[in-house]
Amino acid sequence: MSHKPTITDSLQFSADSKLPTYLFGAGLAGLILSAIGYFTNTDQFFFSYLVSFTFFTGIAVASVFMVLFHHITKSKWGVVFRRIPETIGANLWIWTIFVLPVILGIHNLYHWSHEDAVATDHILQAKSAYLNTPFFIVRQFIYFAIWGFVGRKLYKASVDLEKTGDWGITSLMRKISAPAIPLFAFSLTFAGFDWLMSLDPHWFSTMFGVYYFAISFQAFWAVMILMAYFLHSQGYLKNTIVQAHIYDLGAWLFAFTVFYAYIAFSQFLLIYYANLPEETLWFYDRLEGGFQYIAYGMLLFRFALPFLVLLNREQKHRKNVLIFVAVVVVVMHFLELYWIAMPTMHPEEAHGLHFSWMDLTTFIGLGGIFFGLFFRQFKKNSMIPENDPKLDACLEKTYHH
Amino acid sequence: MSKYEYVPEPALVKGNHSFSSITELVTDVNLRPTPKAWYLAMLPANALLMLLLASIGYLIWQGTGIWGLNNPVGWGWAIINFVWWVGIGHAGTLISAILFLFRQDWRTAINRFAEAMTIFAVMCAGIFPAIHVGRIWVIYWVFPVPNQMAMWPNFNSPLLWDVFAVSTYFTVSLLFWYVGLIPDLATLRDKASDKIRQVAYGLFSLGWTGSNRHWWNYEKAYMILAGLATPLVLSVHTIVSFDFAVSMIPGWHTTIFPPYFVAGAIFSGFAMVLTLMLVAREIFGMKDIMTDDHMEKMNIVILVTGSMVGFAYMMEFFIAWYSGVEYEKAIFLLRATGPYAWAYWTMMTCNVVSPQVFWFKKLRTNVKFTFAISIVVNIGMWFERFVITVTSLANDYLPSSWDYYSPTIWDVLTYVGTFGLFFTMFLLFLRFLPMIAIAELKAVMPIADPHNYDEETKEYIAPKTEGSNTHSETV
Repeated sequence: MSHKPTITDSLQFSADSKLPTYLFGAGLAGLILSAIGYFTNTDQFFFSYLVSFTFFTGIAVASVFMVLFHHITKSKWGVVFRRIPETIGANLWIWTIFVLPVILGIHNLYHWSHEDAVATDHILQAKSAYLNTPFFIVRQFIYFAIWGFVGRKLYKASVDLEKTGDWGITSLMRKISAPAIPLFAFSLTFAGFDWLMSLDPHWFSTMFGVYYFAISFQAFWAVMILMAYFLHSQGYLKNTIVQAHIYDLGAWLFAFTVFYAYIAFSQFLLIYYANLPEETLWFYDRLEGGFQYIAYGMLLFRFALPFLVLLNREQKHRKNVLIFVAVVVVVMHFLELYWIAMPTMHPEEAHGLHFSWMDLTTFIGLGGIFFGLFFRQFKKNSMIPENDPKLDACLEKTYHH
Repeated sequence: MSKYEYVPEPALVKGNHSFSSITELVTDVNLRPTPKAWYLAMLPANALLMLLLASIGYLIWQGTGIWGLNNPVGWGWAIINFVWWVGIGHAGTLISAILFLFRQDWRTAINRFAEAMTIFAVMCAGIFPAIHVGRIWVIYWVFPVPNQMAMWPNFNSPLLWDVFAVSTYFTVSLLFWYVGLIPDLATLRDKASDKIRQVAYGLFSLGWTGSNRHWWNYEKAYMILAGLATPLVLSVHTIVSFDFAVSMIPGWHTTIFPPYFVAGAIFSGFAMVLTLMLVAREIFGMKDIMTDDHMEKMNIVILVTGSMVGFAYMMEFFIAWYSGVEYEKAIFLLRATGPYAWAYWTMMTCNVVSPQVFWFKKLRTNVKFTFAISIVVNIGMWFERFVITVTSLANDYLPSSWDYYSPTIWDVLTYVGTFGLFFTMFLLFLRFLPMIAIAELKAVMPIADPHNYDEETKEYIAPKTEGSNTHSETV
């Protein structure tokens, strides 16, 4: 037999770790505080909630996407990371309950849900076969059924493979992944239409689903970098996830920075150039009232900064640089979703850009629960998919200067 | 036992090949006397090339009136053929640059071949924008050349961006191709027995000796060119899509156009590579290198990109309805049910339905079937450009100006003629240049992998992949 790379780290996240408890505590505190906001400013509560909800859900769906691509391309590079997105995907079915506030807030969020508004607006009438409350609710459950089922199934397959050492399970993973890719493409697209595009029900863009995919995926890579370094900081997997692996995450973050910029800019340019009133107003609303500063910030910090920094090979090997860029991207992802959603709530006519404490509390609330669920599940099994046929090849990656 | 079967990675090169047998196999095509069959193939290719030149000559003499353009359809086969050929010209650089960056070793069997195809396809594409201007003798006006009239091209126009995008793409693709060829040209130089070849290959191999330093520079240059070529693959078809999408014509102005055009381009490019590859490997006996596994991987790429195109069609249709804009709705209904419905459904069948057969392993590993689908796909992609260009123009905002567009014989002959150019170039390539990247291919063969030795005992260990070979003695 050829030499087998040996793993020197413990692969088990400490079972006594109090981390999930703390995270759940922070999450509950955030949600309870936000609930107070519900009584003081209901509209603000729902809009803040929607931004945080689309933030975490987008990243969760991108996680499963990554697992799907990984199986379907038979990739080796990311086997040591794969358990992280797999675990996020395993919790997606639980995440269904967090779409309920969006459904409950439908009247506060979505102008098209008001029957009197539709009655006087012939454009909304034309869309009412799609934009109506019952169908909206049904769609939410379809999306989460797909995501939750596939996420759970792939997690289970991975754990089974680890426990039994049966490499045949990789065929099962591919059999699930192939049809799941088109299902995810359509469900994420329509979720993007529902949650974000229909906030301005007159506006439309064929690119919007791809755009939501692109921003979520870019943020996902940043989250992965932060997760890897977080595990290192806790003393985990220091000799298993090495710099050569994290370098690949940096390269992916770079690639998706370009992809994001490509998609976002194409969408903007085509609408700006044609200058048709039914389309261009959406950008008009987002380039005034203080929101323009977020837009300039996106250009500088979500594209230019990560692009220029990560273009350099050496920088992708530097821990502090990667953490800095990843944090900037995550913050910008939140701000971009804010920039998409909030001009509906705070248009320029109503004082424009206006941050609320609920933006923070809903974020902490959902974030705490999201990562609480993650670590609760993460400590149940090994942190890397042991016995995976590609694991040895992945572990053999070494630092190339 | 498991109810699922584990499928190990297949070996990239089949058969019992050593380094030298690969060199022999590939260079023999270039070094042996020209076979009669080559002349026989050159004959129709050259005839078509002459047809192209005659059609262009007549066009320049007579003007674009010989084409089927009418009012309101001012863009016809010329733009359709341009976009079609440029789209085909996307696969080569995608395979060589993007798959290189993604460390996809299987690309080594087809990259040289696909890059050559790319360059020739872009040549064919470039003809159409040039000849369609009417007064070709002032074609240099498309470039921002300072002149005494202070007349500049319109920098706001994507048509001008196209001039830069396509010429940059062509230049970088050519350089990339050439850089990759240098080590192999040196191999041919060393193997050539007559003076003429020695000098010709020697000249272009730039004094390559295979020294460590040469390889070091080569790898660096290759990496940089791959990095430069990657955004170009995306930008060319993005800007081609802008030609349509920046306008306010219903059916053209839609934001998903850029990625959708790029996906379509890769789709048709891979299909064309397959069409050529399946024939070439048969004639030249390269089945050990261009294996059925390569074909299967390419079929999966075709399935993925074909489905992406299908996704874009559905988004367009959905958003046309969802927008509530009556012109958008009308044009999409007209596409499916109007005077060009035959073209629309041809496109739908060929592009969206036909690649779905590759969900089945039996079909995507079937050579004859794949060959048929690869042609069907390119028919579909031609019709896609036809549908986009013609339907949106023929039925514009003003129903009184609607007219049906039909091509003339000159449209057809010019298009058919471009195949003459394409195949003439391709045959020249097959005859004089190595169709496989020999040096790159060797690097992915199991015998190039030092892991085959046990570190302690220094004993040879056979790799675990299927079709493994025992070549310890040849290394």
